[in-house]
Amino acid sequence: MDGFLSTPIGILAITIAQTLALLVPVLIAVAYLTLAERKVLAAMQLRKGPNVVGPFGLLQPFADALKMLMKETIVPSGANRFLFILAPMLLFMLAMLAWAVIPVNDGWAIADINVGVLYLFAISSLGVYGIIIAGWASNSKYAFLGALRSAAQMVSYEVSMGFVIVTVLLCVGSLNLSEVVRAQQNVWFFIPLFPMFVIFFISILAETNRAPFDLPEGESELVAGFFVEYSSMTFALFFLGEYANMILMSALTTILFLGGWLPPVAVEPFTWIPGPIWFALKICLCLFVFIWVRATFPRYRYDQLMRLGWKVFLPFSLVWLVITAAVLKLTGWLPA
Amino acid sequence: MTWTLALPELVLAIAGLVILVAGVLPKQETFFPVSMACIGSLLLAAVLVLGQPEGTALGGHYVADDFSGFMKLLAIGGAAIGILLSLDYNTKEGLGRFEFPLLMLLATIGMMVMISANDLLSLYLGLELLSLPLYVIAAFNRDSARSAEAGLKYFVLGALASGLLLYGSSLVYGFAGTTNFDRLADAFSADSGVTAGVVVGIVFVIAGLAFKVSAVPFHMWTPDVYEGAPTPVTAFFAAAPKVAAIALLARVLVGPFGDLAGQWQQVITLVSLGSMTLGGFAAIGQRNIKRLMAYSSIGHVGYALMGLAVANDVGLRGLLVYMAIYVAMNLGTFAVLIAMRRKGRAVEQVEDLAGLGRTDLGTAVWMAVFMFSMAGIPPLAGFFGKLYVFLAAVQAGFWTLAVVGVLTSVVSAYYYLRIVKVMFFDAPAGALDPAPASLTVVMAASGLFTLFFVLWPAPLLAAAQAAAAALLG
Amino acid sequence: MIAALAFYLFAAILIASAVMVVTARNPVHSVLFLILAFFNAAALFLIAGAEFLAMILVIVYVGAVAVLFLFVVMMLDIDFARLREGFQRYAPIGAIIGGILFLELLLVLSGWSFADQADDLRLSPNPGASVTNAAALGRILYTDYVYLFQLAGLILLVAMIGAIVLTHRERAGTKRQDIAVQVARSGSVVLEEVPVGAGIKALGIRRPPEPEAEPPKVTHDAHHGGHH
Repeated sequence: MDGFLSTPIGILAITIAQTLALLVPVLIAVAYLTLAERKVLAAMQLRKGPNVVGPFGLLQPFADALKMLMKETIVPSGANRFLFILAPMLLFMLAMLAWAVIPVNDGWAIADINVGVLYLFAISSLGVYGIIIAGWASNSKYAFLGALRSAAQMVSYEVSMGFVIVTVLLCVGSLNLSEVVRAQQNVWFFIPLFPMFVIFFISILAETNRAPFDLPEGESELVAGFFVEYSSMTFALFFLGEYANMILMSALTTILFLGGWLPPVAVEPFTWIPGPIWFALKICLCLFVFIWVRATFPRYRYDQLMRLGWKVFLPFSLVWLVITAAVLKLTGWLPA
Repeated sequence: MTWTLALPELVLAIAGLVILVAGVLPKQETFFPVSMACIGSLLLAAVLVLGQPEGTALGGHYVADDFSGFMKLLAIGGAAIGILLSLDYNTKEGLGRFEFPLLMLLATIGMMVMISANDLLSLYLGLELLSLPLYVIAAFNRDSARSAEAGLKYFVLGALASGLLLYGSSLVYGFAGTTNFDRLADAFSADSGVTAGVVVGIVFVIAGLAFKVSAVPFHMWTPDVYEGAPTPVTAFFAAAPKVAAIALLARVLVGPFGDLAGQWQQVITLVSLGSMTLGGFAAIGQRNIKRLMAYSSIGHVGYALMGLAVANDVGLRGLLVYMAIYVAMNLGTFAVLIAMRRKGRAVEQVEDLAGLGRTDLGTAVWMAVFMFSMAGIPPLAGFFGKLYVFLAAVQAGFWTLAVVGVLTSVVSAYYYLRIVKVMFFDAPAGALDPAPASLTVVMAASGLFTLFFVLWPAPLLAAAQAAAAALLG
Repeated sequence: MIAALAFYLFAAILIASAVMVVTARNPVHSVLFLILAFFNAAALFLIAGAEFLAMILVIVYVGAVAVLFLFVVMMLDIDFARLREGFQRYAPIGAIIGGILFLELLLVLSGWSFADQADDLRLSPNPGASVTNAAALGRILYTDYVYLFQLAGLILLVAMIGAIVLTHRERAGTKRQDIAVQVARSGSVVLEEVPVGAGIKALGIRRPPEPEAEPPKVTHDAHHGGHH
């Protein structure tokens, strides 16, 4: 048995098993996140939300998925067929790909690579292609406008996100995600780096095109933005991709600022709970805030969005980066 | 750490950043104060260059010696006067934006980096830091199609030249395994000799640099860019960057590739011959005086490169003296061209100068001095510039160069003297607006230098001698 | 063996997509092929052990530069048929120039030799297994090459200034949000309690303000009255 596992085929089999073990829970989480969002929003708006399909509406996501699958995929005339179909697949695939480096527990990452943070950043910056390609391939002006907005928005907010990540990396001294979590053994980074944490969270709202930065899909002016022409499963893939991205970004926030799999304090009752559970709990907390924000804030105007990204977040994160570097250097806390 | 050696560059760069912030914050336009601050920091840098010790620093990427000091002072002087020349023109043409002097300042840092380059990498980065601001200021009058065209043309061809330079550098690096000039010199002095690949690499490097000094056959952009760019920009182009690029060419060829002189001397000779000939003949038919000056500058580069082709201390001294005199008289000439306005509108045809001798005698006399000097009439400074390079060529036995040089000087005298004739003997085309004080000062200063260089040439010659010795030593 | 296979796979895709960038009919497809080429280049970096460069290539070139590229290409209406008009005519000349360059390169490379100490002078990209890529790069970038690094930064600054100078215009008549003014106004704007059923007219607010002298509109009034 041992011999088989070290052959290339054995390694492949292990990797596939690991991947499935990670992705299946993620997919289920995505499905239930759609339900959770509707339930939470309903609660905040004093409604009940979906409660017909199954107990407490628990089967609602499956009913939705089934409905999507049964519908016909309509490719508009004049659309670029190949790219039109490719775009949603790309978006969804990227949201799944990124999970390869996420450590759910100490040593529990499919690929514990040295440049994990950069990998995540690279994957998240690729998401914009799914959107641009979808908007362009639809051959519709609403879709294209939505795509342009979205691309400009994602590129803009990536800049400040990058600086926030660099600040965290300064405190860690490594690009490895597991190292990032281990560096938070004493104090989670959201405490010393609180302003960066806030900026990061707002930026990931913009990065995932969530309210109050959901201009790309602005129903009121762009019908539904870049996926206006999509139907059935292709639409569902966009939908799932967005929610998968939300979970991914929550995971990233958890790793960078909320101590990943670490319990809040390393004393008895807390350490009984295994790391993955803590990890999942923290992700749930972030996701709840996502939904909470959506229920609370009205949508930004486009110029306000750009202003916030370039004129507020970018200079602020830059200054904070310099301050952090100076403090680390002067106090000698700089990791070796 | 030896970073203090690069103090002039550091101070200038920091001054540039401070000025940028200070210029962008106020609500109203800050063109004038920023220009003054830029000139001030250039002067400060010049003082620092004067007090600079010799040596290499910053990981061997930076070198300071007499040669770099001489060339840097020239480049800084050219840049400072360039900013001074733009003050009045830019305000009148609606180009008075604070980024303009700032870009010139940044370009000057690029020049200084080039001049002090002791590595192919710092050479390239300096060149880019020089070129990028030049592309922008060439297109600074963005509402004018000609200016935009000039910027774009310069950019595209400049990018091509950078590509050639990088390709050549990569071949050289591939051979020697290093980009440092001192190590390269070691590698090329070894007995094992060099392969064709390295020679091709050197030729590519020369091609890239020849583009920057606008020498034939890489001169095609010059007339269009000189004509299209705003006149102060053209003045700047013709002075400071040329000094820096010539300095770089001299340092690269004489320094690391010094032992391969036999290989590159023929290339430089050809380039020099071509430039002199083209500069002499192509300018004859020009009606636009900026175009004419473009061809004239191509010709002057040809004469200067004659000194480099000789490749000994006399030749290099000739090259340095030539560049110093060229910068002085060129800035003076352009001060006259920038002052050419009729009823508030800038004019730039040769005919517009008609009868200037009667309407504005002062300007006309200075212009005549510059034209005589450029034509090489003794006892003006331009004559001595040519004298020293011809002398070097003759002494070293480069007879072809010397003979062609003299012949093309005679040809080019035709169009320089034609301008004098138009000014003094043609019927007036209407009076030009009076020249503003800043331009008159520049005219007078460079005019006096051109006139009286003959009386007191020793300091410049001594400095050039020391610089050439530093380069060869 | 697997690494070699991967190398040839990525290299082949890289070259094929590079060819497609040049030959694709649709400019958008060209850019997409360019992105594919970047990806495969990043993969080659990975195989060479330069993981930091690979990721930076993806983040910077694919994630930012190519996005802007794609933007521009999608917005511009490029007529590629017209751009290719001269292709047939110029193809022979291009082929001749290319051929000459190729022959020259062959000449150069066939007789290639290295200087004596060239191998010792070359910097090793990776100092050893214990130091990660990013750390190795940082060590030389901020020490031996700090001068060049800062110069590169200065060049980027110039590029930024240049882009702003050449494109930014202050248009007359645009409305700008001044947040400071909005915030400062908060004292003067108050909420008023409005009795149920009262219009704003009852509160003395007229919007728009009444014209000072109303012209008599007799006929209009009559018509108006009958309308409801």
